Amino acid sequence: MYGKGILKGLSVTWKRFWDTYTEDISWMLRGKKRYNTEEGIRHRSSKDTKGIFTVQYPEEQLIVPEEFRYVPFLVYDEGADGKKEIRCTSCGICSKVCPPQCIWIVRTNDPSTGRPVPVPTNFYVDMDICMNCGFCAEYCPFDAIKMDHDFDIASYDRNVYNLDKLLKPAKYYAEIRPENYTREEEARKAKEAAKAAKAEAAAA
Amino acid sequence: MENEKLSLPNYNIPEDLENVVAVTTLDRLYNWGRRSSVWPLMFGLACCAIEMIAAQTARYDMARFGMEVMRPTPRQADMMLVSGTVTKKMLPAIIRLYNQMPEPKYVVAMGACASSGGPFKEGYNVVAGIDKFLPVDVYIPGCPPTPQALIAGLIKLQEKIDRQSIKTVRWYNKEKKDGNYVPMPILGPDLIDVRRNADIKQAAAVAKVTQESA
Repeated sequence: MYGKGILKGLSVTWKRFWDTYTEDISWMLRGKKRYNTEEGIRHRSSKDTKGIFTVQYPEEQLIVPEEFRYVPFLVYDEGADGKKEIRCTSCGICSKVCPPQCIWIVRTNDPSTGRPVPVPTNFYVDMDICMNCGFCAEYCPFDAIKMDHDFDIASYDRNVYNLDKLLKPAKYYAEIRPENYTREEEARKAKEAAKAAKAEAAAA
Repeated sequence: MENEKLSLPNYNIPEDLENVVAVTTLDRLYNWGRRSSVWPLMFGLACCAIEMIAAQTARYDMARFGMEVMRPTPRQADMMLVSGTVTKKMLPAIIRLYNQMPEPKYVVAMGACASSGGPFKEGYNVVAGIDKFLPVDVYIPGCPPTPQALIAGLIKLQEKIDRQSIKTVRWYNKEKKDGNYVPMPILGPDLIDVRRNADIKQAAAVAKVTQESA
């Protein structure tokens, strides 16, 4: 019989269309929101979903896993009186391991003595070259450079980020990667405790 | 949205006609039409093309922005989505496609390779950024950009279209040379941008003079 395939295909479309409304009504009866809520987006991106599963991007976003990575950013700790304590020491390991060579760092020298100071004067990352590999975050010994979750960074010009644009607080990092943050903080505290114990032993 | 207030004519409508008459500018009407039907040219160059395909699927659904109609011919396309590494061998074909597109034409550089050459920026066979040859409207970083990042870039393009005016757009501007037609680059031992021929000749003449005087 001719047209069997068309009918079969249309029946799938019709089923999806129908499922969208039955799902919506069942969610409504349960008093839950299927759209614009985390639970709803999670359900719509799971394999159990039925009906429409479009994530309406500008209004709602897919929930990304913790290890999702886009472009790098620099972490700073908030010191007393709101001063930015940049973790980066401008050692340059990130720029050396960067496969497409998109990081360049301006180092600081003490003006009176001419000796290097472990703070970057400026830090540039060319986001249009960055290939999101995460090597910089992987290799940084000071947990100073991390990969961001923010992907909404398209622009009308080349995206070359400087220090001002790259710096984000440690609070933000804890927010986007809670597990990594707690693990790193624990490791840091253990290291400091070991150092203190060693100093005590040497003094005694 | 701030773009809603763009190019509103400062014209007072009498109170009793407010529900009957609407006043707009030609620019606003033109841009509204343009931004809601940006048809991309259907071609992919590398891995970014896979994400571009993913952006067209039901999960992300570019049709919500009027961009679902991927045109296989440049004669019907409005936007060139340069999705991937542009090799020197591919470049003449891309320039030809760009020249065949009717105005308005927009170029979106998607991903690291198209914007700057990315990891291959110093490669012998790769063009370090399509912006060396074509006027790029939006740069989308990422390697590759996720479908949502691509859609974010396309929304950015829509915002740009909203702010354009027929008087100043590059394809009606006679002074802007690469608005409508970009001369074909010559594929030689190294890629030659024919627009720069005059500069190169002048530089060569200067070099010759300094060499002779030395």
